[in-house]
Amino acid sequence: MKFSIYQESRQGPRKANQDRVAYCYSRDALCMIVADGMGGHLHGEVAAQIATQFIAEAFQRQAKPQLEDPFRFLFDTIMNAHLAIIDYANERGLLETPRTTVVCCIVQDGLAYWAHVGDSRLYLIRDGRIVVQTKDHSRVQMLVDSGRIREEAVAHHPERNKIFNCLGQMAPPKIDLSRPTALRHGDTLLLCTDGLWSPLSGRLICEALLREDIMSAVPNLLDLAESRAGPDGDNLSVIAMTWAEELLEDGDQWISTVEMDPNAYKTTVVQFGRTSQGGQEGGYLSDEEIERAIAEIRNAIKKHSS
Amino acid sequence: MPSQANQPLPDGYQLQNYRITKVLSCGGFSIVYLAHDENNQPVAIKEYLPSSLALRKEGDALPSIAEENLATFRYGMKCFFEEGRALARLSHPNVVRVLNFFRANETVYLVMRYERGRTLQEHIQARRGAMKENFIRRVFTLLLNGLREVHSNKLLHLDIKPANIYIRNDGTPVLIDFGAARQTLTSEGFKLNPMYTPGFASPEHYQKRDLLGPWSDIYSVGASLFACLAGAAPQAADLRMERDRYVSATKLFAGKYSTQLLETIDWCLQLDHLQRPQSVMALQKVLLRERDPEGPRKRSFVANLRSTLMRLARR
Repeated sequence: MKFSIYQESRQGPRKANQDRVAYCYSRDALCMIVADGMGGHLHGEVAAQIATQFIAEAFQRQAKPQLEDPFRFLFDTIMNAHLAIIDYANERGLLETPRTTVVCCIVQDGLAYWAHVGDSRLYLIRDGRIVVQTKDHSRVQMLVDSGRIREEAVAHHPERNKIFNCLGQMAPPKIDLSRPTALRHGDTLLLCTDGLWSPLSGRLICEALLREDIMSAVPNLLDLAESRAGPDGDNLSVIAMTWAEELLEDGDQWISTVEMDPNAYKTTVVQFGRTSQGGQEGGYLSDEEIERAIAEIRNAIKKHSS
Repeated sequence: MPSQANQPLPDGYQLQNYRITKVLSCGGFSIVYLAHDENNQPVAIKEYLPSSLALRKEGDALPSIAEENLATFRYGMKCFFEEGRALARLSHPNVVRVLNFFRANETVYLVMRYERGRTLQEHIQARRGAMKENFIRRVFTLLLNGLREVHSNKLLHLDIKPANIYIRNDGTPVLIDFGAARQTLTSEGFKLNPMYTPGFASPEHYQKRDLLGPWSDIYSVGASLFACLAGAAPQAADLRMERDRYVSATKLFAGKYSTQLLETIDWCLQLDHLQRPQSVMALQKVLLRERDPEGPRKRSFVANLRSTLMRLARR
């Protein structure tokens, strides 16, 4: 496989970043995950974290070096991630289950397979046009589908944040699976949360990708989305991946997996707005995280003591 | 029970700005010390030290943690943080107050205000139950103020029992030990199991943990009330679910306590969580005699009895 990939998650003007993004790849398969923890619900970032980590770990276990059945993997793993979130809430006695959206894409054998729940999106962009895009599980999308409002009105609709399908909800989530889609040289897959797509139009995204490669276009798009959304903006997260034929591209930004050990994998996770790289290790808390948790508790003590 | 006991830090040990005075209690997850700060003020310090994962030998300050347990140890630490986070947010006269939180000796410490007094458990043991109704009503009404604060912060205590209810020397109660609010490690072969105290834990504690809610803490309050009268906990909920041998407080203590209090206890101890008071507020109103308990079956039974007696009396 040969591809270039860029991921970033920004907090925006919100108090916390409840988005999580991660990708991992083995020699023959790539997995990309974007999750948007739901702010109205308690511990949204926990749900996003569990979903992302759960899917990434399942991929690492099963993609050796390929997944047997990508759709089966997507369906089972996302459903199990949902159950893991429910378990977390039950075991902890949370009065409300944390919730998250998720969009996850697998690429192997030159085919892309994706699944989504909620309003985090995947776009397939080819020759400066959106060829395929996921359909949000949101109230406004239903209004669009029934012809009650136009696509362009979605971004400003008062109910744009209401989604009816997510991980952690009471009923099992409806997991929307794509068709296997063959990738061509130069295709870009873009997975993102509503913090990115909501302030931008599809055309803007396509134009940016026509002008530059993802490494410079995507950070610019994030800047643009952030400034357009202004003080009411959301967390914004994205993974963009451009696919290349093995022999056609050369340069630092291209990752070639040909020489990888078939049992090895690489994982890159963005947590709390920062990037941490991990190999085979899967520790639960780093020293830094411990220090951060302690600082947070000490602040809370200070704030609440009179 | 853990097969190995951890050695506590020795008396006199200087832990940052605190000097350890003595061990207050030693559990499977943690050790609680009495210590004094630099102004010689007493504090209670809780040390995260799950004995199944980290072993401290005599004379060492640092526990030794086997390589394969490190991830679980750290994961459990996350839960200790949850307890710290939960308590830090709660500032209420009937909930234990956290003063500090720090890291040392490769583990973490939670510093709490030290309260003078003794646990409700000790009070019960001293009197073998048979506590005065007025005392019970006063203590629990105040305690429920604290529990209400806990629930309104979207937390459940999950380990309410007389040993976790501390009565200060002035007679006011404090809810202590929020360790259970963090016991989350049941899946995937984690070595830390959820903890519950037989007799005080609700049926939901044992199975159907997705049903845990304020009513589960209320069951434990009911069991604690029961223990104040009986000197011991009622039959454990898991056994009750197999064969319920709970004799209602109404029957057991008739004439010794007001019917209203006894019915309240029976109401809290319903196996079906929907039949219990659904909120602390509802329970408090009953304890303050602003309302009557409404255990559905019981109520009709009592109502029937009352009308029968009335009928007999009229004859």
